[in-house]
Formats: sequence, structure tokens, C-alpha cells
Amino acid sequence: MEQCASVEREVDKVLQKFLTYGQHCEQSLEELLHYVGQLRAELASAALQGTSLSATLSLVMSQCCRKIKDTVQKLASDHKDIHSSVSRVGKAIDRNFDSEICGVVSDAVWDSREKQQQILQMAILEHLYQQGMLSVAEELCQESTLNVDLDFKQPFLELNRILEALHEQDLGPALEWAVSHRQRLLELNSSLEFKLHRLHFIRLLAGGPEKQLEALSYARHFQPFARLHQREIQVMMGSLVYLRLGLEKSPYCHLLDNSHWAEICETFTRDACSLLGLSVESPLSVSFASGCVALPVLMNIKAVIEQRQCTGVWSHKDELPIEIELGMKCWYHSVFACPILRQQTSDSNPPIKLICGHVISRDALNKLINGGKLKCPYCPMEQNPADGKRIIF
Amino acid sequence: MAVQESAAQLSMTLKVQEYPTLKVPYETLNKRFRAAQKNIDRETSHVTMVVAELEKTLSSCPAVDSVVSLLDGVVEKLSVLKRKAVESIQAEDESAKLCKRRIEHLKEHSSGQPAAASVWKRKRMDRMMVEHLLRCGYYNTAVKLARQSGVETREKALQSGRREPAGRGPPGHGHAGVPAGHAHLPLQGPAGPGPVADADPAVPVRQLPAAPAGEQLRVHPHPAGRPLGHKDTCYKEDGSSRSPDCPVCSRSLNKLAQPLPMAHCANSRLVCKISGDVMNENNPPMMLPNGYVYGYNSLLSIRQDDKVVCPRTKEVFHFSQAEKVYIM
Repeated sequence: MEQCASVEREVDKVLQKFLTYGQHCEQSLEELLHYVGQLRAELASAALQGTSLSATLSLVMSQCCRKIKDTVQKLASDHKDIHSSVSRVGKAIDRNFDSEICGVVSDAVWDSREKQQQILQMAILEHLYQQGMLSVAEELCQESTLNVDLDFKQPFLELNRILEALHEQDLGPALEWAVSHRQRLLELNSSLEFKLHRLHFIRLLAGGPEKQLEALSYARHFQPFARLHQREIQVMMGSLVYLRLGLEKSPYCHLLDNSHWAEICETFTRDACSLLGLSVESPLSVSFASGCVALPVLMNIKAVIEQRQCTGVWSHKDELPIEIELGMKCWYHSVFACPILRQQTSDSNPPIKLICGHVISRDALNKLINGGKLKCPYCPMEQNPADGKRIIF
Repeated sequence: MAVQESAAQLSMTLKVQEYPTLKVPYETLNKRFRAAQKNIDRETSHVTMVVAELEKTLSSCPAVDSVVSLLDGVVEKLSVLKRKAVESIQAEDESAKLCKRRIEHLKEHSSGQPAAASVWKRKRMDRMMVEHLLRCGYYNTAVKLARQSGVETREKALQSGRREPAGRGPPGHGHAGVPAGHAHLPLQGPAGPGPVADADPAVPVRQLPAAPAGEQLRVHPHPAGRPLGHKDTCYKEDGSSRSPDCPVCSRSLNKLAQPLPMAHCANSRLVCKISGDVMNENNPPMMLPNGYVYGYNSLLSIRQDDKVVCPRTKEVFHFSQAEKVYIM
């Protein structure tokens, strides 16, 4: 924040200076022109009368010349003075922002740059489809001559169509979709279909007393959901009482809240993605966001490493030198770090559960074997190394 | 958003990422300032010249007519000066205002409302993508994306960049700083051969460091593959342990992330395969006799008649056969 603020201060100063200079410039030149214009008028009338140049006029003229010269030269030098403020902006930017981010990534990691580029374009394409930016994605396909097969595209095209309809407050396509996927939605414990019916009902209510019959007859759609959503159905039925009065003035006015529409779009997206086996956010955006978090941390540690001159710590190959916190939502897979060796377990070094229930890695277990017996490092229970059981998270 | 970015983290990232976003309009400002200075100096010297001539004539008792005509000349030169000065100052002011707008956009990252912050983050991603696309030469796509996500671009600049496709140079030169809102996109012409016709877009590339944002887009997936717990699980042969949410498991990023280093984890984090929930004191990990571990709560939820079926091997066990494991 501070970085933006300090650059902004310099920019504001420059803007201020431009403003005052501009006004001053225009004003003084105006005055000059006016003055010269007056002189010229005097001279012109003198010319008409056929008189020669009087001494006073001549004096005034030379004064005028001097004034002109002084004014314009001052204008030029005043403008030059602004230069320091302008360059201070550049310096503020240089001071507050890092100009280089290399050194954190070693390009040698990839064997072929073109191939890497291609895969990246593919990822971008998939991201664009997932975000619903179909025309942009089509354009990219054309320009990059990459192609995504139709089965990949198809679900996104359909989802997008339904979402667009939802944005227009058209519940039809979404309801159709929900009904056709009813079984799987129920398995997911999703209440999408009910919510869609509810929104439709509320919209009918908002239509006023004329819609009463229609709303009542629509209410039969709630029947299959009676058990799970009893309370909400009761609320909606209760609101019918206020239909004549107008729902906005009743205790049920919250039903008319616009946020329901935003919420239904989100619910739909979430449920549809779960059904398709996709994540709600495209992989590219999650990667990008984590990169944004990771980049400054890695650069900081690189700076520290260089300062302390212990470059051996980071080999760029196997593991990052530091842990990067992304939040619990990013824990996609289980990670077990052996508490003794402080390393992640892997297929070649799996976690082993000892008899007492404590878990350590196999390498750690082997290291602890003493005379054919093993003592658990946490509860000193003696046991046979062979009794350890490999576990899988 | 899956990835949590606190305000402090965002600020740090800003410092590292947004140098080009501000530097590019600054360079334009600098260029226009110099141009303005040159114009003013030039016109000033014209005026001075004409005035000097007038002074010379005055000192030698001239006819009134000649003085008048010389004076006319002075008036003309003064008017030209005024016009040029006003134009130049306007151009400078415009580029300074552009700097200001970009800073204001950047400041929005720390706005109090969470909705505004996530809009900003989305725009940031779109910004980087537009830059990357430009760098790859996909102009139309970049323009379309920019328009759709509310990033304005100067069409003229993009077109003049297109005039010398051959001289584009390797993607390491030039830089496009793309902001959101009403700011503009000055595309940097390459420092290669071919004249860059329009003075406007072509800020000398030499002045800019070769840390293009396209690099940033490539760099981002790199560090990302790493912190996201990129590990063996994402690369098992049969794809059995793929998680639909994990980006590294997704088909495109899977290949991209393969050669990258792993994330560093000093502490265990256990996630139940059934529910995706964290396994800790509130949901202790339980091992079935076949060695597979699940969360206690998940086992409760799949328990039927005191038996549980391991989701991965389909073996059936008694609920009581599950043993608690202790993770330090």
C-alpha cells in the first residue's frame, strides 16, 4: 500500500505542476499577445497618419521586445524545472517496485520451449472455456491453430448457456437441466432443483395479487421436497397472506432480495461442476493465484540466501526451500511429513504405523532399529520392526 | 477463491509484479515531457529571433510600415508558441493522468470490500493473460479478452505493433503494461529492425528491463506447481489418486508441472479421501485393516450395519476394526 502511496504522491505533484504551469503559460501569452496587439494598433494608426516613429513609441517598442523575450524564456525555463518532479516519479517507481523477477525460476527445467508454450496455451484455452469466455476461446483457437476436442467443450457450452439464461432471470434451462440430472444431484445432497422452484414461486409472488392462482398451482412443485425443506415451504406459503398488501411491506420482504439470483448462479455452477468432476475455479486461475502468493516469498528468500552467501541451500531441482501457505482450501491431497526426518513420505519411503499407533516413515523406522528391536520415539513402547504396518492416506 | 491471499500478501505480490504496470506509462510521460520541452524551446527561439530582428530594425530609425509588418511576424510566432505549448502540456497532462489512473486501480486491491478485492484479482489475471497473448502474437484474442474483461486498449498502438511482425523479436523484449478500467495499453514496439512509425507507442525498449509480464504468466504456473503440493499423488500411473480440484492433477497443468520442484512441507496435512475434510483431533484418522486411512466422521457416515466398505479396495470390515493412528 505504501508503495502505491509514495508513487501517487509524486504523480500528484507533477499533475499539480502541469496544471499551474499550463494556466500560467496560457495567461502570460494571452497578455503578451494582447499587449502587442495594442501596440500594433497604435502603430497602424500612426502609419495611416503618415507620421514617422516617435521616440516614445520607439522606447515602448524596445521595452515590449525585452518583455517578450523575458517572458518566453521564462516559460521555457519554468517548464524545464518540472523535469525534476517528473524524474522523481520514475525514481519512486524504481524504489518501490521490483523490476526483475528472474532467478526464481530456472528456465533449464523444460527441455523444449515451444512444447511448453503449447501446453500453456492449452491451459489458457481450457481456462477461457471454463470462465465462459467462448468467443475469446474461439479466437485463440484460430490464431494459435490449437484445437480442443468437442467433448471437452460441450459441457462448458451447455453450462454457459444455462448460466446466461440465469443471468437474464430465465429459470427454464436450469430447471430442465436440474430435472434431467435429478438423481445425481440428490446423491450430492444438492438442493438446486428446490431452490429453482422457490425462485420461480417468489417471482410469481412479486407479480402481485393477479398471480395468486398461478402461484398456488405452482406450489405443487414443492411436494417432493416437503420433507427436506419443510420450513422454507412454510415461509413461502405464509407469504401468500401478504399478497394483496404487497410483499415489500410485509415481514416477508426478504424473499424479494436480489441476492437470491446471484446465489442461484453460484449454486448452479458449484453443483454442475461437481457433477462433471471439475473444480469450480479453473486450474490455471488457482495456479496463477498460488504463483502470486509464492513469488514474493521465493524472491525474499533468494535475497536472503544471496546476502548470507549460502547458495547451496536451494538447488532449484527437488524442492522449494520454504513452505508457502495457501490456505486450507488448497489441501487437495494428504501430505505426511515424517516428524523425525522432517521429510515428505513417498512411495519409496512410505509411512508406517507402529503398534502403539504412532506413524513414522520407513527410513526413520530403519534408523531406529537397535539390536533387532524398535523403541517408538514417542511412547517408549518396545516392538518388533516387522510389526509396523504400511498405511495409505 | 481457493487460494487465500491476505491484504499483506497482496501488497507483497504487488511490489513484485506491478513494476511494468507503472513504469510503462511513466516512460510515456517522460517522453512526452521531453517532446514538450523541445517544442517550447524551438518556438521560443523562433520568437526570440523575430524579436531580435525587430529590435535591430528599431535601432536604425525605421519606417512605421516595416515595424508593423515585423510586429505582425512577432504576433504570429507568439500564437504558434501558445498553440504548441498548450498542445504539448495537454499531452503531458494526459500521460500523467494515465499514471494516476493506474495507481488508483492498483490501490483497489486493498479496498475493504471482499467483492471488490476478488474483482481486482480476476482483473489482474486477465491483465496478465492479455499481456501474455500479445507477447505470443495473438492480437485478436488479446483485444477480445481485453474488451470482455474491461481492460481498455489503444487500438492504434496494437495496430502499429502489427506493422512490423517480423521485427517482433523474441518474447523477452518490449513490454505491455495492461491495466484495468479506463487506462490504456501502450504496446512497446520491438527494438529490432523496421521503423516504428508512430512516435507514441514506441518507447525505447532499452530503457525497460527485460522482465516482461509474459514471463510472469509463465513464471506463475512454475511456482504454482510447487506450492500446490505437487507430489507423487498427482502423477500416479493409473490416475487413481486424482483430485478434481487439484490443479496439478488437471490434464494440461499435469504435464506442465512435471519437471518442476516439489512443494516444501514440513508439517503433515491429512485429507480424508472420502469427504475431502481435514483429519485432525476433531476428525481423527482411522486405519482399516488393509492399511487405508480415513477420517472418523467419514467412516461414521459410510457405516452400514456396523460394517464399512473401503472405497478404494471395496473390502468389507467391521467398524470396530478401525484403529486410531497418531500423527505428530
